[in-house]
Amino acid sequence: MAQAPATGSWDHLQKMPRYAIYLLLAGVVLWQLLAPIRFPIVPSSTTRDVYKAIRAVPENKLIIISVDWDASTQAETGPQTAAVIRACFESGKRFALMNWSTPMGAKLANDIAQPIAEQYHATYGVDWCNWGFKFGGANVLMAMVKNIPETMGNDFRGKPVTSLPMMKGVRDIKDIGLVVEVTGLAGVTEAWIGLVQGPYQTPLTAAYTAVMAPGYYAYTDSGQLKGMLVGVKGAAEMEVLERKPGLGSAIMSAQSWGHILILTLIILGNAGYLLARGRARRERA
Amino acid sequence: MNPEVPVLWAAAIATLGVYTILYRENPISRLFEHVFVGLAAGYLILVTWTQNLEAKWWAPMVHQGRWQWIFAPVIGLLFYFIYSRRMLWMARLVMGLVFGTAAGYTFRQFFPINAPQITASFKPLRPDLPVHGRQALDAWGYVILHHWVFAIILFTVLSYFFFSVPHEGRFGRALGRSSMAGRWFLMIAFGAMFGNTVMARLSLFIGRVQFLLFAWLGHYIPWLASRG
Repeated sequence: MAQAPATGSWDHLQKMPRYAIYLLLAGVVLWQLLAPIRFPIVPSSTTRDVYKAIRAVPENKLIIISVDWDASTQAETGPQTAAVIRACFESGKRFALMNWSTPMGAKLANDIAQPIAEQYHATYGVDWCNWGFKFGGANVLMAMVKNIPETMGNDFRGKPVTSLPMMKGVRDIKDIGLVVEVTGLAGVTEAWIGLVQGPYQTPLTAAYTAVMAPGYYAYTDSGQLKGMLVGVKGAAEMEVLERKPGLGSAIMSAQSWGHILILTLIILGNAGYLLARGRARRERA
Repeated sequence: MNPEVPVLWAAAIATLGVYTILYRENPISRLFEHVFVGLAAGYLILVTWTQNLEAKWWAPMVHQGRWQWIFAPVIGLLFYFIYSRRMLWMARLVMGLVFGTAAGYTFRQFFPINAPQITASFKPLRPDLPVHGRQALDAWGYVILHHWVFAIILFTVLSYFFFSVPHEGRFGRALGRSSMAGRWFLMIAFGAMFGNTVMARLSLFIGRVQFLLFAWLGHYIPWLASRG
């Protein structure tokens, strides 16, 4: 913001030390994590669409959860992945985790899936599996649409994917009922749309970090994406639909109060600027 | 000792170390940045071998007699001729292969990505079916709220990027006003994007505070763990 001439106490509102802002924000987050005052979470239409798309997958088809994220976005993509995995187990759909653009994704998502699978008494290789990280970028997608077992080779645990009972009868992209892309990377969705959803009409949904989500609303409007989760808010909304409050819901109260603090600071800063400018004009007159 | 304890402490020290950047640029935060980059690079090499090359290159070549796979790394190593002026042409061969593949992918993806976007922008400006009474009100309300707003924003934003006509004369001035409206709509969209950016950054911070509070400190203070 442009600085108005320093004219008295209003000027202080624009010169709040950044350490004070950091401490205020940290204080609000700590307060809300320890003693949350929750706001109601109302699922948006894009989140409802993801939930519906998962439930609509035919019994004989697999869901691919493409976990193309790493530690840098885990605070958002982690709860999203957990919410999607829970929705699959809830509705009895079999799924495979995979990732092809960020090597850490398969490991981090595996750490999330394992305890949830135990909660639902799901068996690895029967109800879910992890194909692991596959090197090669878009080549992986190009190859897997024609031959999934050969493209995937070994799973995350080092066993051939063909040895997993749930992979029996899974040959190519026609055996996939839905792809859920969870990512914080731009360009990944475009590859799924351009190489899989567009040419083979495989339903595609996505879960994005809040930063990148606005750019992808156009894809939901055109029907290329069947639904979309936006940041932690999307994860919290899925948890509401699943009636199982989890990590997303826990973060949301701290998130909402953090936003209130930031909005208050923006309003105070602008009010200080306008009042200081008004006073300077009056003094000149 | 619980094997989780060293992991918790390492993660907590790394988190706090990186956050020292909030005070100012300092060697501690730099150190942890380098550790993170190094670990990520090392992990990439490990999973590339264990989950890719071992099963799909090494095993077929060594155990299944598909000896022709030996040529794959030879082709890859041609990249290193970039350091030789005399043999640079060999590096260009594989670079051309990579560029050609990338161009092919881009071309192949262009229509499936963009064609539905264009067709989706043709929206009816009146309800599809003849409707009466309350239904007509609802149907027109929906069309005006969704399709008219969409069409107006699309038209004005496109006019902002139409530079072939000067904003003079009757048509030019009308175009100028449309272009100005388009600029406002773009600014509103950028504002929404920035708002989402704030939300994303705050989520990352909350995620780390959750870890420090409930996992790290909660390991020693049961009351904290029970709040998590």
